[in-house]
Amino acid sequence: MKQEGLKYFTDTNLTAVGLIIFFAFFVGLLFWVYRKSSSEIYIEMSRLPLKEENSK
Amino acid sequence: MTNSSLSERIYYDDDIVKKFVLATMIWAGAAFLFGLLAAFQLAYWPLNGNLEWITFGRLRPLHTNAAIFAFGGNAIFAGIYHSSQRLLKARMFSDLLSKMHFWGWQLIILSAAITLPLGYSQSKEYAELEWPIDIAITVVWVLFAINFFGTIKRRREKHLYVALWFYIATIITVATLHIVNSIEIPVAFLQSYPVYAGIQDAMVQWWYGHNAVAFFLTTPFLGLMYYYVPKAANRPVYSYRLSIIHFWALVFIYIWAGPHHLLYTSLPAWAQTLGMVFSVMLWAPSWGGMINGLLTIKGSWHLLRTEPLIKFFVAALTFYGMVTFEGPLLSIKSVSAVGHYTDWIVGHVHSGTLGWNGFLTFGMIYYLVPRLWKTELYSKKLLENHFWIGLTGVLLYYISMVVAGITQSMMWRALTPEGALVYPDFIETVVRIVPLYWVRAIGGTLYLIGFFMMGYNIYKTIRLAPAEQNDEAADVVRSGYGELTKETHRKLEGMGLTFSVLTFLAIAVGSVIEIYPTLSLHKYVNAADIIEPYTPLELAGRDIYVKEGCYNCHSQQIRPIVSEVLRYGKASTIEESMYDRPFQWGSKRTGPDLARVGKKYPNLWHLNHMLDPRAVTPKSIMPSYPWLFEKDTNFLILRKKLSVMSYLGVPYEQDVVANADIHAQKQALEIAADLEENGAPKGLSKKEIVALIAYLQSLGQKGKSE
Repeated sequence: MKQEGLKYFTDTNLTAVGLIIFFAFFVGLLFWVYRKSSSEIYIEMSRLPLKEENSK
Repeated sequence: MTNSSLSERIYYDDDIVKKFVLATMIWAGAAFLFGLLAAFQLAYWPLNGNLEWITFGRLRPLHTNAAIFAFGGNAIFAGIYHSSQRLLKARMFSDLLSKMHFWGWQLIILSAAITLPLGYSQSKEYAELEWPIDIAITVVWVLFAINFFGTIKRRREKHLYVALWFYIATIITVATLHIVNSIEIPVAFLQSYPVYAGIQDAMVQWWYGHNAVAFFLTTPFLGLMYYYVPKAANRPVYSYRLSIIHFWALVFIYIWAGPHHLLYTSLPAWAQTLGMVFSVMLWAPSWGGMINGLLTIKGSWHLLRTEPLIKFFVAALTFYGMVTFEGPLLSIKSVSAVGHYTDWIVGHVHSGTLGWNGFLTFGMIYYLVPRLWKTELYSKKLLENHFWIGLTGVLLYYISMVVAGITQSMMWRALTPEGALVYPDFIETVVRIVPLYWVRAIGGTLYLIGFFMMGYNIYKTIRLAPAEQNDEAADVVRSGYGELTKETHRKLEGMGLTFSVLTFLAIAVGSVIEIYPTLSLHKYVNAADIIEPYTPLELAGRDIYVKEGCYNCHSQQIRPIVSEVLRYGKASTIEESMYDRPFQWGSKRTGPDLARVGKKYPNLWHLNHMLDPRAVTPKSIMPSYPWLFEKDTNFLILRKKLSVMSYLGVPYEQDVVANADIHAQKQALEIAADLEENGAPKGLSKKEIVALIAYLQSLGQKGKSE
């Protein structure tokens, strides 16, 4: 019955590609975020909420 | 370091923040009161006072809408307007838009508070509001988006802090969810039918419903958490890196989780599995966020003495952790089999809204009010008392509901060694948990008492504030525009537009893959299993069923589980609800499932049951519906209703559409005659009760094979 409606789901290549894209995104994100050289900027970023204390 | 010649003086718009804070307090009181009344009604049914407007089926949507959109919504807006201006070093883009947003939103709430008690409802949970209000919501949301993105464009701080990311994701996703789920065709000024039917409607609705939790009650509140927790603790967030991973993981995964509301229904198994797997995965990013928040406070425990409002943040994050552990657990199919349709779910969502959203909002307001009104909090002692009383209230609520849910579920499932139901009468399982409904009501009372203490505290604080109130001025310097680092990798965080598009793509992928195949399912159903559409009178009765909010306590979806098939009949199929606009699968069984109630009892049974449920089911906690015996069915509008249904593809014959009212009246006379024959009063044929009986008797009876 629903086979026709779901045909493109049975395409293992397509689902595999989807999986790889998602997985690669996350691994890439992890690597990017945890690069050593970015420590300084992240410290700076995390201080943004605390920086605006010169209000009058 | 600051070069004074580059410094500019700007004024933040705090007036709009104050407005939203006050609106939050007012609507919170309303939402909690509605909820408390509903809780007491479940413990003691006569508490609806025989008034149709506050009967549970209409009161519960009022309560949920007030809690989510009035209380939650105003709280989010207060926090977003306050923190964004400071994080972006810019006044809001347009004061006029801010005001239109504020008053527009309050008008929407007001119209919800009027239409829902009157029974104008689409019956889709958290999307009950009818089409004119749906349009108003869209307009106001767009105004808000223009105002917000306009402020981003004018910012003096290049880097977008992570809280802003969560706000952006909220604005984009809520717009998408609301528009897609609200595609409907009007039949009257305050009535419409969704374009989706049955399984399509269920899938779209719970894609919306779950993501209303995700993108209205989670991501914006996480954004607020990432701003106000560091502010209150006076230290930066524990790990900024974790917050980035937390963000992307949540945005990518949450959108897929909707089908966990439909486990063991007639939704195709692949979609159920998908929903379950992604729900379980959600545990990781959710706990990442919780840990990040709690560890931020870790070094500041000494502040709990001087700044007791931090207790609210600690408790909120702890509840967030509990709820996001319990959610994935409940999404596992075998656990869902036990928890679904029971009070366990009610306990789960309330530990989320009362514990996480409520306490985070309270903490934020206790933080904001003294700063906005340039004064000190009236009483820290009162704040402490609010915290402990409120906490006791939530815990009583949660524990009583989990125990009630599991107890009742076990009774539903109990089988004798011979394979028969141990408790074949549904009412036995209800009577057993009524004491726990009282405990829940006491928990709710405590929570409300705590809230009243807060109301008094806030009132006194504002009263004692200096009379003259000016917008806060700040001397700001443009920053982040290259003076820090020239590296290219910072671009993404700086580019609001690109970032927004990426966020949209992240939610769009999951949405399309999940929903699109479901939308075409009806084309492939087995021709032999296709059902007859409702007769005009049955359709009129169905709309009464929707109007009275019967779905709030009765499901229409039998799961393929032994005890359930024994109790209600064979499992529901896709075909059986394929013309249901809106679908009425329900999500809670305070009373029994009705998917196959048709022809189970004579017409007179239903008549007596609606007039006084205890006449046929002693100890029933269902309210009486005497007004159905007084109001006339609107027959004439049936032509319009059927023509809309026909337009949407329901196979009605032309004659039935053109003479829908005549067909309906004929069937009504037949039912009324049967009722009279069995001793009911004369002249009921025009009354709503007859239409409702026609509908109830048709449930599960529409298959050609039946």
